[in-house]
Amino acid sequence: MKKLSFLTAIILAVAAITVNAQTSGKLVSSKTQIKFFSSTPAEDIQATNTTSVSTINKETGEVVFSVPMQGFEFEKALMQKHFNGEDFLNTQTFPKAKLKGKITNLDKIDFSKDGTYNATFEGELTIKELTKPVKENGTVEVKGSVVEVQSKFNVALADYGITFVKGKPSTNIAKTVEITMIAEYKPE
Amino acid sequence: MKKKKILKIAAILIIAGVVIGGSIGIYMFNIPHRNVQTAKVDYTLTGSQIVAEYLTGKDAANKKYLSGDGNSKILIITGVISKISDDFNGQKVILLKESDAKAGVSAAFTKETSHNADDLQIGSTVSIKGVIRSGASFDSDLELYENVILEKCDVVKK
Repeated sequence: MKKLSFLTAIILAVAAITVNAQTSGKLVSSKTQIKFFSSTPAEDIQATNTTSVSTINKETGEVVFSVPMQGFEFEKALMQKHFNGEDFLNTQTFPKAKLKGKITNLDKIDFSKDGTYNATFEGELTIKELTKPVKENGTVEVKGSVVEVQSKFNVALADYGITFVKGKPSTNIAKTVEITMIAEYKPE
Repeated sequence: MKKKKILKIAAILIIAGVVIGGSIGIYMFNIPHRNVQTAKVDYTLTGSQIVAEYLTGKDAANKKYLSGDGNSKILIITGVISKISDDFNGQKVILLKESDAKAGVSAAFTKETSHNADDLQIGSTVSIKGVIRSGASFDSDLELYENVILEKCDVVKK
């Protein structure tokens, strides 16, 4: 009986260590900034969002961004209203967007050594429940236990069912917008 | 003579129409953002209450608190401060969360109000007014509970 409880204790200890090892590679960031930039001859439109939460796994290279869409802040209130509205991002029905994927050159990044590394990322971006593949380039900067990730990529609005055929938005919003992301991660 | 008079009136009406229409157009285009701090409060509740509401029924809570045009509900949330940080816009972010809770309420101040958060201390209870941007839920990709997010916040003076 005593032997059995000893064995159970060992199994539990091993299980605990394994679970720990699985989660130890994960870094969390609630300090993020995502910028949306659209440029047309008519006008430039920019919005900033600091409300996203992101995780990065040092061991698997997995990166996840969860983006509350109502967090995009525009210079003009009217632009923000259009952005949130039903014809554009319909943020009441689809409050969050998600970016999910993997760093594909994880072997080139040494999370234990300070420095700035170039990273390539492949994954999927889901906006309004439409999922499309994305490929990005970015940098991973290691500063002790803190990791900062930066990336810039383009999104074609039509991929997510955002098309304007008439009215002001059709001439003033670019068909492809530039997204700039930055996130500062700390161990969980 | 009569024809001339009619033309004159018509011309005045058209010009007036263009001026009024144009002014409304320019005003609409430049309409300022809603001032969250002076706007009417829609709901006053505790951090635990709104988190519980979201964790039991995310869709119903989104319908209740989020608005289609992005001008979502204005809340006063009372809770215990568990974390104080800065965001990339240089604004203070106060996390209201009970020590045993799955999720809390993250409140981002503005450049103008951030100094009001300077005296806040971890462990003390505070009431914060702001606009809700998103609710709390468990995200299976992040493997985390996400907090309720408020922005444009300020401390509510008692």
